[in-house]
Amino acid sequence: MIKIENFTFYYGDAKRPALNGVNLEVEDGEFVLVTGPSGGGKSSLCRCLNGLIPHFYGGKVNGRIEVAGLDTLKHSTKELATKVGMIFQDPENQLVTMDVEREIAFGLENLAFSQDLIARRLEESLDTLDISGLRHRQVHELSGGEKQKVAIASVLALHPEILVLDEPTSELDPKSAEEVLAIAQRLNDELGITVILIEHRLDRVIQHVDRLVVLDGGRVVADGNTRDILSNSFQEITEIGVGMPPIIKLAQGLKNAGISINNMPLTVKEGRLMLNGVFKKSFESLAQPDGKSYSKTIINVKKLWYVYPEGPTALKKVSLKVDEGEFLAIMGRNASGKTTLVKHFNGLLKPTRGMVSVDDTDTRKATVAELASKVGFVFQNPNDHLFADTVEEEIGFTLRNQGLKDEETKPRVDEMLQRFSLQDYRNQYPRSLSGGEKQRVALASVLAMQPRILILDEPTRGMEYRLKSDLMSFLREYTSQGNTVILVTHDVETVAEHADRVILLSEGEIVVDGKKRDVLSKALLFSPQINRLVQAFDKYGVPDNILTVDELLQTLK
Amino acid sequence: MLSLRYEDKETPIHKLNPFCKLSWLASIFILALIFNNPLYLLLLFLSTLPLIIAARVWREWTYLMKFALYLCLAIIAINAIVSSHGSHLLWEAPLRIPLIGAPVITLEAIFFGVGMSLRLLAIISAFAILTFTIHPDDIMLAMIKMKLPYKSVLVTSLSTRFIPTLIDDAERISEVQRSRGLELDRGRLRQRIKNRMAITIPLLSNCLDRTVQVAEAMESRAFGSGEKRTYYKEIKLSKLDIPILILGFLPLVLGILMRWWGHGDYQYYPTLGKISLDGFEYSMLALLILLLCMMVFLALLKKRIELD
Repeated sequence: MIKIENFTFYYGDAKRPALNGVNLEVEDGEFVLVTGPSGGGKSSLCRCLNGLIPHFYGGKVNGRIEVAGLDTLKHSTKELATKVGMIFQDPENQLVTMDVEREIAFGLENLAFSQDLIARRLEESLDTLDISGLRHRQVHELSGGEKQKVAIASVLALHPEILVLDEPTSELDPKSAEEVLAIAQRLNDELGITVILIEHRLDRVIQHVDRLVVLDGGRVVADGNTRDILSNSFQEITEIGVGMPPIIKLAQGLKNAGISINNMPLTVKEGRLMLNGVFKKSFESLAQPDGKSYSKTIINVKKLWYVYPEGPTALKKVSLKVDEGEFLAIMGRNASGKTTLVKHFNGLLKPTRGMVSVDDTDTRKATVAELASKVGFVFQNPNDHLFADTVEEEIGFTLRNQGLKDEETKPRVDEMLQRFSLQDYRNQYPRSLSGGEKQRVALASVLAMQPRILILDEPTRGMEYRLKSDLMSFLREYTSQGNTVILVTHDVETVAEHADRVILLSEGEIVVDGKKRDVLSKALLFSPQINRLVQAFDKYGVPDNILTVDELLQTLK
Repeated sequence: MLSLRYEDKETPIHKLNPFCKLSWLASIFILALIFNNPLYLLLLFLSTLPLIIAARVWREWTYLMKFALYLCLAIIAINAIVSSHGSHLLWEAPLRIPLIGAPVITLEAIFFGVGMSLRLLAIISAFAILTFTIHPDDIMLAMIKMKLPYKSVLVTSLSTRFIPTLIDDAERISEVQRSRGLELDRGRLRQRIKNRMAITIPLLSNCLDRTVQVAEAMESRAFGSGEKRTYYKEIKLSKLDIPILILGFLPLVLGILMRWWGHGDYQYYPTLGKISLDGFEYSMLALLILLLCMMVFLALLKKRIELD
């Protein structure tokens, strides 16, 4: 059992508290989802549960926390290790040995368990997570999802009563993410382990949890049964920046339209049941708004093959034309060749065979630096971008690389600072900004060149809702000015809402290429939630190519 | 792809107890340092080859040796230029430098460089066995068994653990910055150093962030909870291992004795000495090399016995 009583915490010499008068009680065996905007105190709360706050991170503390009968202020993290297991965001950074068996044994060794007992616990953990196939593998050969499972196994070996997972899926692809969440659910269900899951994306987990806790500004702003909170506090929670799953949004939309909803739906199935009663009226057919016309091809890929040196063949005879002003999404499983393909567009990779031309320039004949004025490339992690002493300098870097003089650079930098509301941070050290601000600086530094093509490689992975919607509305505006945006992503819902065209890659080949409405509707698991929902109703004449909540609500009028 | 890391190739050499390999390694290492005679050093180098071949790390070894050879060429060149002790003058520079005089290259200085190179090659080649055939965690365990403090050993092993991560990071960051128009090899030296900062700073800062996260994760798994700590996998010496271990040290003992009797020395300066060995010395040297090569035979034998 966890008992948090009026707990307040300030990091080091911070002026604002990270946690502010938090009261929370969690019963044994509960599955609690903690959510909220970034900076709301989610991570701080989970670091309190095993004493990392205040023993690892010093600061000012007030109040009391009792976990499994131990006062965390008096008992160190090490003592709490057998009570509370912690899983962190980045699987890479929680594995300390070179092979899987030793990794799982690590905690047990620290507690001076006998070899026999370690052997038994090791076996158990491997079986519980169904990863005995990995036991002799080396850690650096594992995929992200496998690493995260090993991390869970190594924590589970200590037989904790409580498992705390701090955004465990934000670095993983959707399939591994589903697997990790399913594991958390199974441990809760079958072994009765209390699970505290921190997530900012609700759609994947909402149906599994018993209870929802929302944190904002270090305070608990909502706490209770998931369905109750979602139906009663929808407005408040959306306003603080928590992204709602499409089905919940739909239910809320119906409610606003005066249709009574008895039971807030959490799964696609429940959503269908909800709509059963609603879909008895007539429908307008859906106006097709994606009839943009394009004038000029800007990227032309002809029979492109790419083979990694001493490695696999990543692209097999890919041909593709991208037009000016298009918003293109490239999707596909991990290692299907998405990133390899887009790295050809700015010359980071050169074709093994075939040809890529960008704005009539053959990429084989141009350097990456030359192409940088035409093609901007934003990578996933802003921490890889930022190095300069000030935000201003960071944004100017790309321009100076193109040999622009100071007097030319300055107005452009000012424009970018204004466009991304970064004026106040002009002279600050970029790496000390918050996650969202860093993302904006990285984007601004690429866009300062005013590239006609902008490529983003999984920009939304691990990104919270508000940031994501800001970024997307910016990208739409950018394409409306005649620029081309290419988005590499796993995020079906974002694509459904914003892209014009979708390409699906598999094993280095393009399997589908077309308008998003044609590609994403009726595509089984690749369809967005709402499309999966309406597929069952085409017998009533509901258009089966509806992709988003707004479109569906429109047809209902 | 060729990885210069440990990889379990399941040869008898990989299966051999790490302590046995370490005893053999210690013998070669110390012998290479106490002998000066190029013939001895050459034979020491050659006696590492059977193990390399039996461990099937030939490709990795060749790769490593390429680098070692460059190093050797540098040693020979620098020694030839700097040292002027020899008496057989091969070349004299047409200019005079105040206080030093004209730089000269002598036969003896080149030979000395060759001798030192042989020593270096023998040592690197022997260490290849350590790197390519002993699991890094086993090296750690062996160090702990030798009573080195756990925390220092763990730090060493952690840094090995994160080398692949660091390489990935560096590649990724360099792609990010190149996409922003950075050209690493543009401009003068100062500019080039500045260019590198765009990669170095994110790399180091990311590393620091990682450090904190790793520390948190370790703490959460009860790291440092007591004085005592157990080890799930231990390196245990079996009955077979003890004689092998002793045989691993035998060449060292023999070598020290030979050195004691005055063998294995060589005069490079001012004129090269003669490599003339008497019958007794020859047979002792042969025995020494034979003992070193025995390790392969012992490894094979051990596997055979264990299979029965």
